[in-house]
Amino acid sequence: MVEPVHQDFRKREILYSLALWLLSLILPDPQLHYRREYGLRWRDLFYLLAILLLPLLFSDPHFHHLMVLAGIHGILALGLTLFLGYGGQISLGHAAFFGIGTYTTAILTTRHGWPPFLAFWASGMVASLFAYLIGKPLLKLKGYFLALATLGFGEIFLVLIKESASLTGGVIGIFGIPWFSIAGLVFDTYLKQYYLVWIVLIGLVLFTKNLIRSKVGRAYMAVATSEDAASSVGIHVSRIKLEAFMVGAFYAGLAGSLFACVMSTATPETFSLNLSVLIVMMVILGGMGNLYGPIVGAIFLTWLIDTLAQYQDYSLPLYGVILILLLIFFPDGMGTRLRVRLIYLISYWGRKKRREKVNL
Amino acid sequence: MAFLKIQGVTKNYEGVKALDRVSFEVKQGTIKGLMGPNGAGKSTLFHLISGIEKPDLGKIFFKEKEITSLKPHEISLMGIGRTFQTLQVWGNMTVVENVMTAMHSRLRGGVLSSGLWLPWIKREEDRAMKEAKEILEFLGLFGRWKWFAGQLSYSEQRILEIGRALGTRPELLLLDEPAAGLTYGEAKDLSERLDQLRKKGITILLIEHHMGMMMEIADEIVVLSNGILIAEGTPEQIRTHPRVIEAYLKRGRQGCSESEN
Amino acid sequence: MELLQIIPQFFVSGLTFGAIYSLVALGFVTIARASQIINFAQGEFVMLGGMVTFFFIKSVRLPYLLSAFLAIGVVIGLGFLLHLLVIYPLRKASLPILLLATLGASLFLSSSSALFFGTLPKALPPFSGKDLIEIGGVSLSAQSLFVLIATFFVLFLLYLLSHHTHLGKAMEASSTDPLGADLCGISRHLMTFLAFGVSSGIGALAGIFITPLFYVSYHSGTLIGLKGFISAVIGGWGKYGGAILGGFILGVAESLSIAFIPAGYKDGVAFLILLLILYFRPKGILGSPFIDSRRW
Repeated sequence: MVEPVHQDFRKREILYSLALWLLSLILPDPQLHYRREYGLRWRDLFYLLAILLLPLLFSDPHFHHLMVLAGIHGILALGLTLFLGYGGQISLGHAAFFGIGTYTTAILTTRHGWPPFLAFWASGMVASLFAYLIGKPLLKLKGYFLALATLGFGEIFLVLIKESASLTGGVIGIFGIPWFSIAGLVFDTYLKQYYLVWIVLIGLVLFTKNLIRSKVGRAYMAVATSEDAASSVGIHVSRIKLEAFMVGAFYAGLAGSLFACVMSTATPETFSLNLSVLIVMMVILGGMGNLYGPIVGAIFLTWLIDTLAQYQDYSLPLYGVILILLLIFFPDGMGTRLRVRLIYLISYWGRKKRREKVNL
Repeated sequence: MAFLKIQGVTKNYEGVKALDRVSFEVKQGTIKGLMGPNGAGKSTLFHLISGIEKPDLGKIFFKEKEITSLKPHEISLMGIGRTFQTLQVWGNMTVVENVMTAMHSRLRGGVLSSGLWLPWIKREEDRAMKEAKEILEFLGLFGRWKWFAGQLSYSEQRILEIGRALGTRPELLLLDEPAAGLTYGEAKDLSERLDQLRKKGITILLIEHHMGMMMEIADEIVVLSNGILIAEGTPEQIRTHPRVIEAYLKRGRQGCSESEN
Repeated sequence: MELLQIIPQFFVSGLTFGAIYSLVALGFVTIARASQIINFAQGEFVMLGGMVTFFFIKSVRLPYLLSAFLAIGVVIGLGFLLHLLVIYPLRKASLPILLLATLGASLFLSSSSALFFGTLPKALPPFSGKDLIEIGGVSLSAQSLFVLIATFFVLFLLYLLSHHTHLGKAMEASSTDPLGADLCGISRHLMTFLAFGVSSGIGALAGIFITPLFYVSYHSGTLIGLKGFISAVIGGWGKYGGAILGGFILGVAESLSIAFIPAGYKDGVAFLILLLILYFRPKGILGSPFIDSRRW
């Protein structure tokens, strides 16, 4: 801390320093290479408490609903981040796995009477299975071609869903999906769904953390940086890529299942390219190689879309423009250098005052 | 038994003959040097041995088994490790993680068990870290084990690559210009370490331009020029071999104005 | 029996669509040859070609030909803007970012078009009346013939551009080796800028051709763009000839498929062919100078 020149500086300086210290406590560290969060820190406890207590502080049901969606998007982003953020591969068809999860749960619960809890896990596994079938040929591609092929897969999936009316209800979709329930506890209000979704998310975050710091995570990062080097140490590159793809799809399937139980309907329009793009944006804005980042990205983008919805016809064009602007200004993720940028911003006043004083 | 046998290997790249019917053998427990002016095909040969490329003609045998058409990770599992001429260190992982990744195939565990962090996963991780640290200590990088690999200096990264290759517990090590960019003292340290590796029974195939190091440490040397094997023998024999001198000096004397020979 | 009679008809209509896909594919290839960027908004340029022409005809009441030319001009301007506002600021960005940025632009263009021009599909009158020409038992509209001829003409012009003009060679150079091109005084960004203009112009032309045959609405861009890209990949990525070949193959295959599978799946045919090609011969039919097929 700089020694204040005049007494009237002191109060402001202390206030700034306090604000900065508080901020540094709750914001994630600025990225240094790809920072990985090992173990648990106090900051994680803070996040946990914030998530658990948040809905009690704000009891607006619309807010709850929004956060439920944000949580589901968070699970999607988390799954994709393994493949895209740590694994360095591009997938523009991830929404398809989300859709597969939703429809699996829809079909199993409405037509075959499965309990939602079992359908939940089944959705994940079915999505993974599709990922295996699609990934095996597709993952031989790299860069733009992989992106294109996954995009193509996403579109085919949409076409297939719309056409197989007997299985999926075609363009209309499937109605009447029951609420999620475990052992008698039914999640029928937004508040309960909030806790359901976020606890699943927290569980998956812990799981993913463990993956990242184990040999699995190292293998993904190795393949992303240099496939030649990875194969030279015995890593089966194509199998690792497929594995990351399948894990990401599994998460998406789980997210889809939760979505079905929250929305009670499954319609094809939800699984469009726009959603795939949205999920990739969440990962990019959160920062590649970051674990919490994409979740924050999910919350931010969910909120953004909700805010834009009120502009009706202008919402999509605005969305497109904002997307482009975000990419131009935050290519490394919004959290990168965020602390530094905020410090710069907050300290602006102090520096301006100091400059004025000096110029006297 | 010939530990590593290269037999009649030919490789073409879009009209350029990178390797032309090259054949030689490497005995177990020795250090074989691979020399030649730039463009002689040395790194190409490494790519062929390690499986990243396939030869157009010829075969490669390791411990009497043919490895010509195996995939790179399969070849690594057979006990061949390598470094790269263009540094391929994983800069966004820590130094110790770089070496630990090399133990991937020897560690137990899959997605499910790692994600749930079952007790034996922790044991495997600790074991891997211990072994990785031992390798780093052997190479003199122990002090930096927590650093990100991208933060190391260039020469340290080169040594890290060797450490990573050692992480696979190889029986044959392919080193591509490990002493590039090293100072004289560092190169001497490296020589000593390679010697220690040889004493432990690891066979080494070494590409190097550092003549002093090569002559001192190699048991035998093979010389390539424009893809053709022009000489093979002990360092003494190579030093005075007329064709070798011609290959190296001809370039210097007549310069680039001479058409591709 | 019946099938045999219908197939030639489908084949011919497939050629027409093939020509349009070829034009779109040429747009992609032009940009890729200058800069290794793939412009996902290409389909929107096609759509806008038709839309803006319609706007000029119906709302501003200009004659057909003038509207068409103005529309092409407007779309070329949009192409330039796209480069300046999106591509240039991201010149140092990594692959996923560029991808998403062009997707964002595509979204912006399609939704703005819905805003400006309304959401109803638009159609344009054909160029020379609705007459059908009979050739060997197969009827072909004058429009289709016109489209086919025009496509080859554009191909010819592009060929001249890239092989026989200084500019064309400069564009290729900056794609193959940006640093080298820079050192020779070729501005990579200028090349990309021009490439965007050329490809958006080609796209607009394709749009004007397709609108008389098929409705165009604000969301047609995405699918057309994708099919154009797929055509370019099928034929051999990066080659003008490949774009044309791929376009025709896709057009014909799609048309023929209607005879065998329900119409709703038609769009899926394109992606199926894409997956097949990428799996069995990623370089495309004519091969590609850009794809390194090492260890596919």
